[in-house]
Amino acid sequence: MRDEQERVRLRRQAARVVLLPWLLLTVALLGGLRVAARDRSLLFLPPPLVTLVLAALLAALFVRARLVLPGRWLGSHLTVLQNVSHALTLLALFFASAQAFNSVLPEAGLLHWIFALFFLWTLWNDQFAPFDPRRLLRSLAVLFATAFVLKHLLLSGLAPGPEGGGWSRRLVGALLEGVTLGTIDVPAYAAATGYLSFFTLALFVGALALVRPSPEDQPAALAIVEATPVRDELGF
Amino acid sequence: MRSALLHGFGIVSSLAYAGAVVWLYATQPRTLAEVATGARVAAGAYQVDEARFRAGQELFRREQYGPARDEWDRADPARRDARVQFYVAYAYYREGWGRFHHDDRLYTAGLQAVDHALALSSAAPLRVDDPELGLHTAVELRAELQAGLTTSLGDFNPMRTLEKRK
Repeated sequence: MRDEQERVRLRRQAARVVLLPWLLLTVALLGGLRVAARDRSLLFLPPPLVTLVLAALLAALFVRARLVLPGRWLGSHLTVLQNVSHALTLLALFFASAQAFNSVLPEAGLLHWIFALFFLWTLWNDQFAPFDPRRLLRSLAVLFATAFVLKHLLLSGLAPGPEGGGWSRRLVGALLEGVTLGTIDVPAYAAATGYLSFFTLALFVGALALVRPSPEDQPAALAIVEATPVRDELGF
Repeated sequence: MRSALLHGFGIVSSLAYAGAVVWLYATQPRTLAEVATGARVAAGAYQVDEARFRAGQELFRREQYGPARDEWDRADPARRDARVQFYVAYAYYREGWGRFHHDDRLYTAGLQAVDHALALSSAAPLRVDDPELGLHTAVELRAELQAGLTTSLGDFNPMRTLEKRK
């Protein structure tokens, strides 16, 4: 029975100490990866400065929603190895967040700034909303899903293609007849970029589901119970 | 004990993975083949494809300089071998050489290639003992290419047309 408990504890620890950083680093790797439409070559786009600001806001949100309790992740009650391991995981979480934003932000032009402002506004508002870890995860999943649909399904069609653009370009062109699309600068990427982004975001949300407020198993909770004498009631 | 081992493994593997991510973003490989080549270079397991190199030399001797350079590009895709880069520069020199006029574009490309070869062989002077070649060191080749790109009074000397290609 004790062996079984020990095995379960080790598996959980392996998930937090090895699997979680690997998932987050994979997000950091794939978040900036694009596949050029012209020659199918790989492009590694480092995170723009604004995504670091967004990641910092998201990190603050993790703390406010108690998804991460910094005092439990780092401190003198942990060994040096544990502190280093947790610090690396938190660093990976920060860069994975930045790259997740990078994955759904248009790369340049007016749309880049519209999306960035949309994220900034949402995250800033969320700082003042009551969140618990589960609600925060749901909220982030919806936020990233919305951005993904806008960028990779709607806006990717605005990029000029071999036949003059996709259906959304023609639709926007019809809606904004006479208005130039010059400021809507959408680089052309291969369809694989959308799949990569979908996988990256799914991995990011999945990795967040693995994050615990306290990375180490805590001893069973101790409750302080105030006992009142019941002798009189029992008639002693 | 097991917990400490797990943490240690987690730290080492995370640092290695993070290093690989940073390396990919710093080197910007364009294809998966370039990723594989770069990984071999980083691991110290990179080697020039000798068969392709010799095939390039055969083409070079038949004065097919463009195809020779293509073959050497395939032999040394990471452009890490000073000897191959020397031959690439030499192919530019031979192709750009003319009795009355040198092709500046090819000479410039040759100069870049020989500079790269020199940078790769900074530890020792680069010397290639090939009897087919008139110039055996990278420094000589660089001087020849540099002289070809510089306009001087000597360029108007009719005796210059009697010079031989090296």
